[in-house]
Amino acid sequence: MTSADFSVIWPELLLALAAMVGLLVGVWTGKDRTTATLLWGAVGLMVALGVVLGFTSWEPRMAFGGLFVDDGFARFAKVTVLFSAAAVLAMSVDYLKRRDLMRFEYPILIVLAVVGMMMMVSAADLMSLYLGLELQSLALYVVAALRRDSLKSSEAGLKYFVLGALSSGLLLYGASLTYGFAGTTSFAGILSVLDEGPMPIGLLFGLVFLITGLAFKVSAVPFHMWTPDVYEGAPTPVTAFFATAPKVAAIALIARLTFDGFGIAADEWGQVIAFLAAASVVLGAIAAIGQTNIKRLMAYSSIGHMGFALMGLAAGNVFGVQAMLLYMAIYVGMNIGTFAFILSMERDGQPVTDISSLNFYARRQPLRALALLVLLFSLAGVPPMLGFFAKFGVLKAAVEAHLYWLAIIGVLSSVVGAFYYIRIVYYMYFGTETEPLDRRMTAVQWGLLMASALVMVAGVVNLVGIEGAAQAAAASLVR
Amino acid sequence: MSLGLIVLLPFFGALLPGLLVRAGRDTAAIGAGAVTLLAAIGVALNAPEVLRGGVVSQSLPWLPQAGLMASFRMDGLGLMFAGLILGIGLLIILYARHYLTKQDPFGKFLSFLMAFQGAMLGIVLSGNVLMLLVFWELTSLTSFLLIGYWRHLPEGRQGARMALGVTASGGLAMLAGLLILGHVAGSYEIADILAAGPAIRSSELYLPALILICIGAFAKSAQFPFHFWLPQAMAAPTPVSAYLHSATMVKAGLYLLARLWPVLSGREEWVWLVAGTGLLTMCIGAVVALFKDDLKGLLAYSTVSHLGLITFLFGLGTKAAAFAGVFHILNHALFKAALFLVAGIIDHAAHTRDLKRLGGLMRLMPLTFLLAGIGTLSMAGVPPFNGFLSKELMLEAALEAGHAFGPLIPVAAGLAAAFSVAYAGRFLIHGFFGPVRHDYPEYPHDPGPGLAISPLVLAGLAVAVGLMPEPIAGGLVRLASGAVTGAEIDTHIALWHGLTPALGVSMAALLGGAVILAAYRPLARGWAATPRPEARLIYGQIETGLRRGARALTAWLLNGALSRYLGVFLVVTLAAGVWALGGAPGPETRPMLAVPPGVAVFWALLVLGSACVVAFHRTRVLALVAVGIVGLMVSMAFVYLSAPDLALTQISVEVVTVILMLLALNFLPKRTPAPEGAGPRAWQMGAGVIATLTGLGAGALSYALMRRDFAFEPISDYHLANSVPGGGGANVVNVILVDFRGYDTFGEITVLGIAALVIYALTESLLGGPASRRLIAWTPDQARAGDRHPLMMVVASRVMMPIAVLVGVYIFLRGHNTPGGGFIAGLVMAIALLMQYMASGFAWAQARQKIYYHVLIGLGVLIAGFTGIASWAFDRPFLTSAFGHVHIPLLGDAEIASAMAFDLGVLLTVVGSVMLALASLSRIARRAGGEVLSGLPAPHDDDAEDRR
Repeated sequence: MTSADFSVIWPELLLALAAMVGLLVGVWTGKDRTTATLLWGAVGLMVALGVVLGFTSWEPRMAFGGLFVDDGFARFAKVTVLFSAAAVLAMSVDYLKRRDLMRFEYPILIVLAVVGMMMMVSAADLMSLYLGLELQSLALYVVAALRRDSLKSSEAGLKYFVLGALSSGLLLYGASLTYGFAGTTSFAGILSVLDEGPMPIGLLFGLVFLITGLAFKVSAVPFHMWTPDVYEGAPTPVTAFFATAPKVAAIALIARLTFDGFGIAADEWGQVIAFLAAASVVLGAIAAIGQTNIKRLMAYSSIGHMGFALMGLAAGNVFGVQAMLLYMAIYVGMNIGTFAFILSMERDGQPVTDISSLNFYARRQPLRALALLVLLFSLAGVPPMLGFFAKFGVLKAAVEAHLYWLAIIGVLSSVVGAFYYIRIVYYMYFGTETEPLDRRMTAVQWGLLMASALVMVAGVVNLVGIEGAAQAAAASLVR
Repeated sequence: MSLGLIVLLPFFGALLPGLLVRAGRDTAAIGAGAVTLLAAIGVALNAPEVLRGGVVSQSLPWLPQAGLMASFRMDGLGLMFAGLILGIGLLIILYARHYLTKQDPFGKFLSFLMAFQGAMLGIVLSGNVLMLLVFWELTSLTSFLLIGYWRHLPEGRQGARMALGVTASGGLAMLAGLLILGHVAGSYEIADILAAGPAIRSSELYLPALILICIGAFAKSAQFPFHFWLPQAMAAPTPVSAYLHSATMVKAGLYLLARLWPVLSGREEWVWLVAGTGLLTMCIGAVVALFKDDLKGLLAYSTVSHLGLITFLFGLGTKAAAFAGVFHILNHALFKAALFLVAGIIDHAAHTRDLKRLGGLMRLMPLTFLLAGIGTLSMAGVPPFNGFLSKELMLEAALEAGHAFGPLIPVAAGLAAAFSVAYAGRFLIHGFFGPVRHDYPEYPHDPGPGLAISPLVLAGLAVAVGLMPEPIAGGLVRLASGAVTGAEIDTHIALWHGLTPALGVSMAALLGGAVILAAYRPLARGWAATPRPEARLIYGQIETGLRRGARALTAWLLNGALSRYLGVFLVVTLAAGVWALGGAPGPETRPMLAVPPGVAVFWALLVLGSACVVAFHRTRVLALVAVGIVGLMVSMAFVYLSAPDLALTQISVEVVTVILMLLALNFLPKRTPAPEGAGPRAWQMGAGVIATLTGLGAGALSYALMRRDFAFEPISDYHLANSVPGGGGANVVNVILVDFRGYDTFGEITVLGIAALVIYALTESLLGGPASRRLIAWTPDQARAGDRHPLMMVVASRVMMPIAVLVGVYIFLRGHNTPGGGFIAGLVMAIALLMQYMASGFAWAQARQKIYYHVLIGLGVLIAGFTGIASWAFDRPFLTSAFGHVHIPLLGDAEIASAMAFDLGVLLTVVGSVMLALASLSRIARRAGGEVLSGLPAPHDDDAEDRR
C-alpha cells in the first residue's frame, strides 16, 4: 500500500528531499557560497523531472486513499510548472549575482514552492489542496520579500502575506463549510453529494469562499491588489517566477476543484468564474495603460491573461479546459521570454524598468527588438503569433458555451490591451532619443528570449505539438 | 500550382532580398520580381478553372483538434484580387528600385514588401475566416513596418503607430464577429459560412456579428470614423502608398464586405450601416481632399472617398450595385496607383509635393503630365476613361436607391462626384498648368524609364478598360461579382448607355466640379476659417484621455494602502456571501439553546471586550487587558458547555500568551501611532462600516449555520462511542489528542518546538547586531517599580513551585480519563517555572536551571516519535495506541496506555517551547537594562541580596 503510494508521489518526494538536503548543505557550508551549485542543481533536477513526467505514462493513478491523483491533467500542469520554474531560475543567476542576492535560500524556496504546486495540481481532496497551496504560498511570501534591505520589497512581501493570510482563512472557512454540508473532503465525494440533488446552501457558500481564496492566488480581479505591488517590489527574477509557475498551478487547482469537485455548470454558479474572468480582462487592460514601469505593466498584463484563462474555465466543458491549458502553456512561454529580456534591462549596470528607456532600442539591437516585438504582439493576441491562438481558443470556448457577453468583453479588452503592448513596440522602433541601455545580456537570457520568440512564430504550424497533450489532459479532467 | 504554395511564395521571397542585396540592388529587385512573377504564373495556371465558373480549393489539416483547417480557395473575386496584388506588386518593385536612394536599405524594404504581398494574397485566397484573420493582421504588421520605413521622419512614426493601432485593433474586433459567425454557421470554412446565409441572417446574433465585422472592415478600409489613419500613413515611401494605401491593403476591408455579402446583406441593418457609412465617407473624403495642398494628402483623402464609394455600393445590397462596386475596385486600383506613382515622380524630381509650390510642370515634364492627365480624368469620371464607367454605374445605383431610401442618397452621391471632379482638376491644373516657376526646390525633369514604365502600364490599362471595357474587363468583373453575389450577373459594361438620368447627374457633377474649382480661392479661405473636428486630434485626445482615466482609476483603486485593498477584498467577499445565500437560507432545523441570565452577562462581556480591543487598540496595554477578558470569557464558555479540558487549556494558553506579550511590550512603544495618510474622515467612516458589516456578516453566517443541521451526524458521536473501547481513555479530548488525531498532535508539537527554536535563533542574532547597541542605549519609557522583586512574591513563588509541579504531574497522570493531559500539564509547569523568573529575576533562575530547554524540546519530540514507531514493532501503523491494566500494590488497579508516553512527549515539548520562548525574550530585557534582571552584584540589587 505504502510503496504503491510512494510510486505515485516520488517526484514530489524527491524534490522535497532535495530541498531539505539543500537547506542542510547551505547552512553547513557557511551561507551563500553554495548558492550557484544549489541553483543549477535545482534547475537540472526540475528539468529532468519535467522530462520524465512528460514522457512516462499518463495513466491516471490515485494515492493515499484518494487524496492525491496523478492523471494527464496533473501531468500537463506539472510539466509546465517544472519547466517554467527551471527556466526562470536559470535566467536569474546573473541578475542575482550582480545584485548580491545569491542567497542559498532562494533556490530552496523555489523548489519548495514547486513541490507545493505539484501537490496542488494533483490534489483530489480539500486536505491535500490546502496542504499544497500553503506550502506554495509560504515559500512565495518569503521570496517576495527576498530583498530584505529594500523597503519596497519588504512592503510588498508584507502586503502579500497579510492579504494571502486573509484569503487562506477564507479558503479554509469555505473548505470546512463544504465538509460540513457534504460530509466529505474528497472531490469525488462532494461531486456525488451534488449529483444526488440540488446544491445545499452551505455547500454553495463553501464553494464561493473556496473560489474567493483561490482567485487571490491567480490574482483575479477583485483579488488582484497585491499583484502590481509585489511585481514591482520583488527582485525581477522573483517577479518572473510569480508570473509563471504559480499561476499555472493555481488555475489548474481551480479547474480541478470546479470540475472534479463541484461539476461546474456554465449557466449556474459558473457565473462566478465568468464574473472573475470578465472583471480581470477589463481591469487588466485598462489599468495597464497608465503604467510606465514595465514590471507593473506585466503585473496588469498577467491579471488580464488570467482573466482569459478563467474564461476557458467558465465555459465549463472539455474544450474550455483544453483551451485554458493551452493558454497557460503559451502564456508561460511568452512570459519567460519577456522576463528574460526585462532581466537584461540595465543602464550603467543598474536595472531599469522604465518603458521609455526602450526608446530606439531597435536601432541598437535589431534582433532583440524583433524578438521582443514578436513576444509583445503575441501577448497582445495579434495573429499570427501563438498568443492569438491561445486567445482564440478560450474565446471560442466561451462562445460555444453561449457566454457571448464574456467573449465580446474579452475581445474589446484585448483591443484596449493591444494598445499598451504596441506602445512599447512604438518606443522601441521610434520614440525619441534617450540614453541607451547596456548591451549586456547573458547567453541564457538571450537564448530563452530568442527561443520563446521563435516558438511564438513557428508554433503557428502545429502549436508546438502541445495541442494533443492539452487535449489528453483536459479529457482526463472532464469526464 | 497549389494555392497554398502560391501564398507561401512571397514569404519565401521575403527571405531572398536579404541574401541577394549584397549582389546589388538590381539582383535583389529581380529576385523579388521573379518570385512575384512565379506566383502570378501560379495564379494564371489556376485561372482557367475559375474562368469556367468553378472554385479552386485546397485543404490541408492544420490544427484539426481546434477545428482549424489550412484551406485555400479561389473564385472569381479571389482571382481578380490576386491578379491586382501580383500585377501591381511587380510594377511597384520595378518603380521602387529606381525610387529609393542608395542610402535607403533596399533589401529590408523588399523583404517587408514581399511579406506584405504574401499576407495580402493570403487574405484573398484563404478558405477559412480564421486564416483570413491571421493574414489580415499580418498585413497590419507589415504595413506598420513599411510606413515606418523612413524612421527619421517624425510623421512616419506617428503615422505608423496610428495605422497599426487602428487596423490591428479593428482586426481583433473582427475576430469576435467572425467567432460569432462561425458559431452560428457551425464552421469557420468560408464555403460553409456562405452556405449558411439564411441561418445567420435570422440569428439573433446577426447584429453584434455585423457590427463587429464592420468595425474591422471599416478600420482597414479607412471608413469614417476610422478614416484618419490613412492620410497619416502617407509618410511612407510613395511606392508603399501606391501599393498598400490605394491598390491593395485598404481594399482588404472591401474584400471582406464583398466576401460576406451573400451572408450578411439582405437585412435593413446592413444597408443602414454599410451604405450609410460608405456614403458619409465618400462625401467627407471628397470635400477634404479638395483642400489638401500635399499631393499625397489629396490622393489619400480621395482614396478615402473612393473607398467610401465602393462600400456604399456593397451596402446597397443589390446585384447591380455589387457589380459596380467590384468594377470600381479594379478601376480605382489602376488609376489611383498610377496617380500615386506620378506624385512620387514629382516629389522625386521637384523635391516637393506641395501644390502651392508647384505649377507649370506641363512644359517641364510632358510625359508625367500625360500620365497625370489620364489618371486625374479617370478619377474625375470623365469619359472615355475607366473611372467614368464605374461612376456611371454608381450613380445609377444611387438613383435607384433614392427611390427606396429617399432623395438624399443620389444628391449626396452627386455632390461627392462633383467634389471629386474638383479635386482631380486641382491636382492637374494647380500642378501642371500655369507658368513655369523659378523657385522649385529642385529643377524638375521627366523621369527615366525605370520610374516611368510602371505608371505608364497602369495608365495604359486605365485607358484600355475605358475604351474597350467588355473585351478587357467585362468577363473578369462579371465573374468576380458573380462570386460576390452568388448569382449570375448579366450586366454588360458599355461607354454609351443612352441618355439615362445617371448620365445627367454625371454631366451635372462635371459642371459642378468645374464651378467649385473656379471658386477655389474663396472656398479655401472659407475652409481655413471654418472650425472642424480633426479626427487625428480626436484620436490623440481619446488616447490621452484613456491614459489619464486609466491612471486615475489605478491611483484610486490601487493607491498602495493595505486598508484599501482589504476594504475591496472584504466588500467583494460580503457581496459573494450575500449572492451565495441568495436570501433563502432555508428553514432552521435546530432549536435555540436556552440562555440563562448568567450566560447572557458573559456574552455581553465578550462582546464588550472585543469592542474595547477595537476602541483602545492604540493603547496597547489596555488592548491587552481587553484581549485577556475576551480569552477569559471564551474559557468560561467552555466551562459552561461542559468542556473542562478545553477550558483548562484555554486558560493556560491565555496566561502564557499574555505574559509573552507583556514581555514583548516592555520594549515596544506603549501606544500604536496613528498611521499617516489614513485618508479623510469619510474614508475612515467607510472603513468602519465595512469592518462592522463584515463582522456582522460572519456572525450571521455562524448563527445561520449553527441553527441548521449538517449533512451528517456530528463526528463527536463517533469519538464518544470509541474513546473507551478504542483509545482506552474516558477523557475524549485527550484521547483525540493522543490517539484519534495523534498524528496531528505529533505535527503540532514539532511545529511548536520549531517556533520556539526560531524565536531563540532570532533573538540570538538580534543580540549580535546593531539592534544590540540600540538595546544597550535604550532607556525605559516609563518609570520602573522601586522594588523589582518583592520578598512576598519571591517567597510565595518558591513555595508554590513544587506544589505547582506536583499539580502538573497529577494533571498529566489523570489526563487520559479525567480532564487534564500532557498539554495542560505542560502549561501548568511552565507557568510555575515562569513565576520563578518573574519573582526572583532572570539570572537567579537561570543559574539554577539544570536542563536546557532545547533538550526538553528535542526529548519531547523524540519520545512522541518513538512511541509512534514502537507500534511498527507490533506490525501496526504508526502511532497505534495500546493499553492495558496493571495492578500496582497499595495504589490498586491502574490503567496504562501507550498513549501516555506520547503524552509525556507532548508535555516536555510544551514546557521546553514555552520556556525557551520566554527565556529568549527575557534575554533582550537583560541586555537592555543590565541591572534589572542580571545577577551582577550591585549595592541595591535584590538578586544579590537573595544570594546572600
